[in-house]
Amino acid sequence: MSHYESPLRETLILGDKSYKDISDDIAAPIEGKANKLWWFVFGISLVAFLWGVGAIVYTIGTGIGVWGLNNKINWAWDITNFVWWVGIGHAGTLISAVLLLFRQKWRMGINRSAEAMTIFAVFQAGLFPLIHMGRIWNGYWVMPIPNQFGSLWTNFNSPLLWDVFAISTYLSVSVVFWWTGLLPDFAMIRDRATKPFQKKIYSLLSFGWSGKAKDWQRFEEVSLVLAGLATPLVLSVHTIVSFDFATSVIPGWHSTVYPPYFVAGAVFSGFAMVQTLLIIMRKVSNLEAYITRDHIENMNKVILVTGGIVATAYLSEFFVGWYSGSSYEDFTYLSIGAATGPYAWAFWALILCNSVFPQLLWIKKLRRSFTFSFIMAIIINIGMWFERFDIIVINLSRGHLPSTWTQFSPTSIDISIFFGTIGFFFVLFLLYARTFPVVAQAEVKSILKSTGSFARKKEAEAEGRSQDSLAKI
Amino acid sequence: MASNKKYWTSPMELKDSSIVEKLSKVEFEKEIPTDEFLGDKEALESSSTTRRDFLKYVGFTTAAASLAACEGPVIKTIPFLNKPNDVVPGVADYYATTIADGFDFANILVKVREGRPIKIEPNKDASSNNGTNARVQASVLSLYDNHRLKSSTIGGKTSDYTSFDKEINIKLAQAKVSGQKIVFLTGTMASPSTDKLIAEFKVNYPTTEHVVYDAVSESAALDAMEAMYGTRALPNYDFSKADVIVSVDADFLGDWNGGGFEKGYAANKVPVHGKMSKHIQFESNMSLTGANADQRFALKPSELKFALISLYNEIVGGSLTSKVTLQDAAIKKAAFQLKKAGSKAIVVTGIQDENAQLLVLAINNALQSAVIDTTNTKNTRQGNDTKVAQLIADMKAGKVGALIMNQTNPLYTLGNTKGFTEGLQKVALKVAFATSPNETTKACNFVNATPHYLESWGDVSMQNGQYSLMQPTINKLFDTRQFQEAILSWNGNTTSYYNYLKNNSSSFLNGKSWNTALHNGTADVVTSTTVPTVNAIDITAVGSALNATTSSAIELSLYTKVGLGDGQQANNPWLQELPDPITRTSWDNYLLVSRADAEALELKNWTVDNGAMNGSLVDINVDGVSIHNVPVYIQPGQAKGSIALALGYGRKEGMQEEMMTGVNAFPLLNKTGNVSITKVSGEHKFACVQLQHTMMGRDEIVNETSLHDFINLKKDDYNPRPKFSLDHQPVTADEADLWTKFDDTIGTHFNLAIDLATCTGCAACVVACHAENNVPVVGKQEIRVSRDMHWLRIDRYYTSEMTKEKGTEEGIVGSGAYFNAQIHPEDQPEVSFQPVMCQHCAHAPCETVCPVAATSHGRQGQNHMAYNRCVGTRYCANNCPYRVRRFNWFQYAQNSEFNFNMNNDLGRMVLNPDVVVRSRGVMEKCSMCIQMTQTTILQAKKEGRAVKANEFETACTSACSTGAMSFGDVNNPEDKVAKSQDDNRTFRLLEFVGTKPNVQYQLKVRNS
Amino acid sequence: MSNKIIRAIYDDDDVLVAAVKKVRENGSHIEEVYTPFPVHGLDRAMGLKDTRLAITAFIYGVIGFSFATWMMNYMMIDDWAQNIGGKPSFSYGENVPAFVPILFEMTVFFAAHLMVITFYMRSKIWPFQTADNPDPRTTSHKFLMEVSVDGNADELTSLLKNTGAEEINIIDKH
Repeated sequence: MSHYESPLRETLILGDKSYKDISDDIAAPIEGKANKLWWFVFGISLVAFLWGVGAIVYTIGTGIGVWGLNNKINWAWDITNFVWWVGIGHAGTLISAVLLLFRQKWRMGINRSAEAMTIFAVFQAGLFPLIHMGRIWNGYWVMPIPNQFGSLWTNFNSPLLWDVFAISTYLSVSVVFWWTGLLPDFAMIRDRATKPFQKKIYSLLSFGWSGKAKDWQRFEEVSLVLAGLATPLVLSVHTIVSFDFATSVIPGWHSTVYPPYFVAGAVFSGFAMVQTLLIIMRKVSNLEAYITRDHIENMNKVILVTGGIVATAYLSEFFVGWYSGSSYEDFTYLSIGAATGPYAWAFWALILCNSVFPQLLWIKKLRRSFTFSFIMAIIINIGMWFERFDIIVINLSRGHLPSTWTQFSPTSIDISIFFGTIGFFFVLFLLYARTFPVVAQAEVKSILKSTGSFARKKEAEAEGRSQDSLAKI
Repeated sequence: MASNKKYWTSPMELKDSSIVEKLSKVEFEKEIPTDEFLGDKEALESSSTTRRDFLKYVGFTTAAASLAACEGPVIKTIPFLNKPNDVVPGVADYYATTIADGFDFANILVKVREGRPIKIEPNKDASSNNGTNARVQASVLSLYDNHRLKSSTIGGKTSDYTSFDKEINIKLAQAKVSGQKIVFLTGTMASPSTDKLIAEFKVNYPTTEHVVYDAVSESAALDAMEAMYGTRALPNYDFSKADVIVSVDADFLGDWNGGGFEKGYAANKVPVHGKMSKHIQFESNMSLTGANADQRFALKPSELKFALISLYNEIVGGSLTSKVTLQDAAIKKAAFQLKKAGSKAIVVTGIQDENAQLLVLAINNALQSAVIDTTNTKNTRQGNDTKVAQLIADMKAGKVGALIMNQTNPLYTLGNTKGFTEGLQKVALKVAFATSPNETTKACNFVNATPHYLESWGDVSMQNGQYSLMQPTINKLFDTRQFQEAILSWNGNTTSYYNYLKNNSSSFLNGKSWNTALHNGTADVVTSTTVPTVNAIDITAVGSALNATTSSAIELSLYTKVGLGDGQQANNPWLQELPDPITRTSWDNYLLVSRADAEALELKNWTVDNGAMNGSLVDINVDGVSIHNVPVYIQPGQAKGSIALALGYGRKEGMQEEMMTGVNAFPLLNKTGNVSITKVSGEHKFACVQLQHTMMGRDEIVNETSLHDFINLKKDDYNPRPKFSLDHQPVTADEADLWTKFDDTIGTHFNLAIDLATCTGCAACVVACHAENNVPVVGKQEIRVSRDMHWLRIDRYYTSEMTKEKGTEEGIVGSGAYFNAQIHPEDQPEVSFQPVMCQHCAHAPCETVCPVAATSHGRQGQNHMAYNRCVGTRYCANNCPYRVRRFNWFQYAQNSEFNFNMNNDLGRMVLNPDVVVRSRGVMEKCSMCIQMTQTTILQAKKEGRAVKANEFETACTSACSTGAMSFGDVNNPEDKVAKSQDDNRTFRLLEFVGTKPNVQYQLKVRNS
Repeated sequence: MSNKIIRAIYDDDDVLVAAVKKVRENGSHIEEVYTPFPVHGLDRAMGLKDTRLAITAFIYGVIGFSFATWMMNYMMIDDWAQNIGGKPSFSYGENVPAFVPILFEMTVFFAAHLMVITFYMRSKIWPFQTADNPDPRTTSHKFLMEVSVDGNADELTSLLKNTGAEEINIIDKH
């Protein structure tokens, strides 16, 4: 059987790696000591996380009133952050599931971390619907469980309840998908571990995986089916999140374009976040060989496409609102009223960060630059946060009855909780980067022969071409 | 002991008497023989106490000790040994009584639950004065004011009444001997019995004088009446008879002449056979009355007087010299319409100037107006400024030996406080009767704590021909004594005031039974109907005197707000939190300035990023007297060159700190001369609940039409229903419905109808709702960040300076410039009010989105809210197009952060036991007073009958004096709401959203 | 028969697959093959049957869908039908548009989780399960084939040598 692949395809694994080398590289960060940078970033994240925990405790103890909300704008940063994190939590599954179905080999270098990122992001997302409740201690009432009051069930008409099911399903399935993929890699680390404690831990984590032929067969089947299930799931999650707004009657919320537009936005922001993390990680845990310029460029291409979809949605929203001629549409988050009103700054932040700056990615040079990609990723993350902020706050601040118009400004608690979740996110991710195999080494090994540069060289020699000439193509 | 203990083993043993006998001894353990074994040594040695026993004792004592230690808090409750026959737990009693606090007068019903008055309702059976305003509604909370005087004091020391009276009698005797005056200084009591008492007092103290003093005086009007008709009383007005009303600065829907005219006014505001009254208002600052007028013209206070002269000339054809005003054209027009209406026309004025009042009386006399009634005059204002001035002079001159004050707080309210204080030094005996400590009680050596009117007996004659009784609805909360009791004892009269009142009343009730009168709270009595003769007055003199008024660049007018009135209830959180109907600002008074003047003086109002309003500060100076740091509110409709400031604020004495709001404007009262305002540094934080004043081109929100259109156009032209496209056919909301309808034709289906034509925006309903539903008070800061908890709010809109037409002309429609212009109200706007509460939508957006089904629809059409199921996601509030849902951001009850009536035991007594106090983190909203509707249904059930037509009431509808709000069952064709739902004027708020509200609005028709 | 087995270790997946074919042609029984990553074509070469996990997933999905239907019908229609925002709760059919999202989620939830659990059970992998790969390198970079010896040890050894095995050792089956 041949591993031949067109030399026109980019080389996904640089350097002449053998299977052994790959194992060593992947295991290196786990077996080695953490460097100064890691400790520094981890320290900061931990402080932010604990600060956030404090703010949450204070909120629960005193009342939601410690946030900047009011009786007209009953959601603001809480749900903004929720949607933002959920959006970010889309890339991982999308990469591992959708790209798997599309047989995109380049995903293998990054899917593990992307999924990890997904799961940690969904943790943060899940936090907000909980703490935004006025009586979190009764939060379990959103579960369809019988209760002492007799026939008192949840309301399955409510988009919020749909969220409960969508988010929990998405989170649990993502975790299972991720963990199953991790088993062989844990096993690898287990078997080369020298410290007895480490061995114990990893043998526990690896569920006793031993790489039998039959297991591999099932393993691949399961991955495929999970991918098949996760693909519609990942699309459904943000669709349902968008229902929170789309099924309402509030001008600016009540909009049929929301589901596709939210999903695109989610992928947009998700990939941006993956960029942010991978560009750091390839340096921090020396994975330059596995996360290559080509990976970054591919990601940027996806960002460019989804960004385009989002921009189109903005345009249609703006146009439809204006074209309706309804005075109730004059102040929705995408309207002249918003562009000139008290939230103009938020409006323009959205337009610039999401629809103007990303266009620079059309330039190949920038698209392939790590630094630029990193900056762009950050900009997009900010822009997408503002998108959700605008959708929620601007629309609520300009309701049907002008007598109810008001504004919102966050309190220190709002801000603390938000940065707390960012801290929590990085705490989890940094711990992951130290203790988990950050690249799906088993999968990577399976494509080494077809896409590794060593293999390529051999092919090239066979065809009497030189490696550098290959690069030129 | 334990060793030889024996137990029953079987019933057989009963047969063996010896065992029975033995057991009867030891079955129950003898008391522990501690002495026996601790007492003396050998006993101890020989004691049969085993180790086990000893351990038992140890265990027992330890247990006992620890049990005694952890004793829970004891809350004492005293059950009724024999039940009072009119107290049924859970069932409310209603008592008819009367409020007469010197400023507000009304015949009312008091709802009493388990012996606690908890709600004030109008006594609709009374022939007149049967409306309640916001202050009357809120007065029940003042009963439970924690800061009330709890006992009488002499020189600050608590004293019992015998010694109190002993000392006073001595002092009175001294005054008598020294021939000094003994003066009763009281607010308007309008109480025949009290007057009689004072007269009796005068018998043994001939030097006695009774000076009546109103903080907000109508003295000028009284003087005018006296001059023209010889009776010192206020004329009565029946606006229902009026076709044309011209008001020159008379806020007759507010507190003018003691108020109570809105009912008659509203009666003629709904077009019947194409006819309705026309109301033209000339005034300087936007009053509630001006806001309701068909036409409103702004003039400076001085110009109003000139306008009045011109009006007189136009109507009576006199040729008094007058100065030109900006509105002379309007005056001509008004005069023409008045003449046309003849006896169905009326002119009223609130200018505190005898000449102005005389002119108006002359005009009405010339018109032969049937609206004004000079026979059955009103007694709700009796203050006499000249007498008060005389009193102060006497006091300064040391002629006054004793000053006895009741229902008045001159040290706070008297314009020239300084002079009064000065005089007060020279008075030997200073007695103050008051319910709560204030500036005056502080300055008096004798302070008599008086009961609240809900704890008192009394009689009131609000107008000739009506005799009302005041009866206690609760036992005195504190060691208080009412004014009349005191005089009785000073007169050496031992009868209780109750008996005195009862005997005395017979002379007024002429034959009617005391009990019926007490039961009804009021009785109509025949009085002399001799129409008073009109004395001739020298109009030219009057005219020239009036014309002599000098106008200046800036003129100040002082007014009273719906909330605080003259300020005697300033410590009442409900009133402090009540947003003013015009400015929609609570917890403050402020200087009203026109936009033009504000720009000239660089005064600003601006919105800060949390949606709250801030404003500039100014110092006001009126010939010498100045008030510092007065916040400025830029008021559309304010006459250029005029400023206005509300009275009743800025009190400090005996007030809770949170309530010490605003500035005291009384020092400026009756000050004439140069007014100057200077901007000072700093900014003021307002608590304003509505910052968007215009409708932004969404005119269907508060639908309005002109009388002309109403008569000539078809319903669809002036009140079109929104249309939806179904199969490319325009259809109404119900036809476009996708869902099978729930059957709401069986049983009761509630609707609330609000007639915007007769709603004056008086806000009585807001306070009534507050009281009925235990709505928390959240305080200034929370209101400021729009966290107001009012279940019922009254939106107020001004017409915008930018209309769609104007925009199209300028070709800027849809541009930013267009919207920014739309946001600004006109300088002289038309005003519309719209009470908004939960609309109880049949297709409620809030219900579908609640994840835990905490809010769902009831069989009677209400949108229910199950507080204890709510987890507080607030999605419902976001998805409510009317924004009527209110969230408990904090724990508002029993929380020292919110130190209002729900934070002290006394204040909590006002809570309605039928309504739960909501906890932190739950959503709440209007329930259509389900506790009241259920009571009505149960009542009918008990009496084995169907609910009568229009029997259903809610707090807001029962509080509405004009009948603008009505509530009932649309499945009962007899009900008002059933009839009104298909009325031509009826529309539903935001019907195009498809929510199918159960609240109807009837559009306003303007006769302009 | 003896209870010995031969373990042959390879360092290249292609060689391994070739070897597997040879061994089977030789008619020897391959007990097990341990590889560090999924080697394509190995299952074919070993003649393993296709797994039926996908089918179970489908069945689980159907179960999930049915459960969701029953649950929402019971809670919203049968047990306590309410008038929520006027939505017709008279019959499941009328109210079902509002239930579609949860129908979908429950389907996926059941299918995914139950399938994975089945996989774990069938392959005997779960926490505290000890691995039984004979050589630690097989999870990293080596490929190990276990062939049962049927008295023909030497012959097999040479055969395996020819297939390019790095190490060959015969051990007793425990």
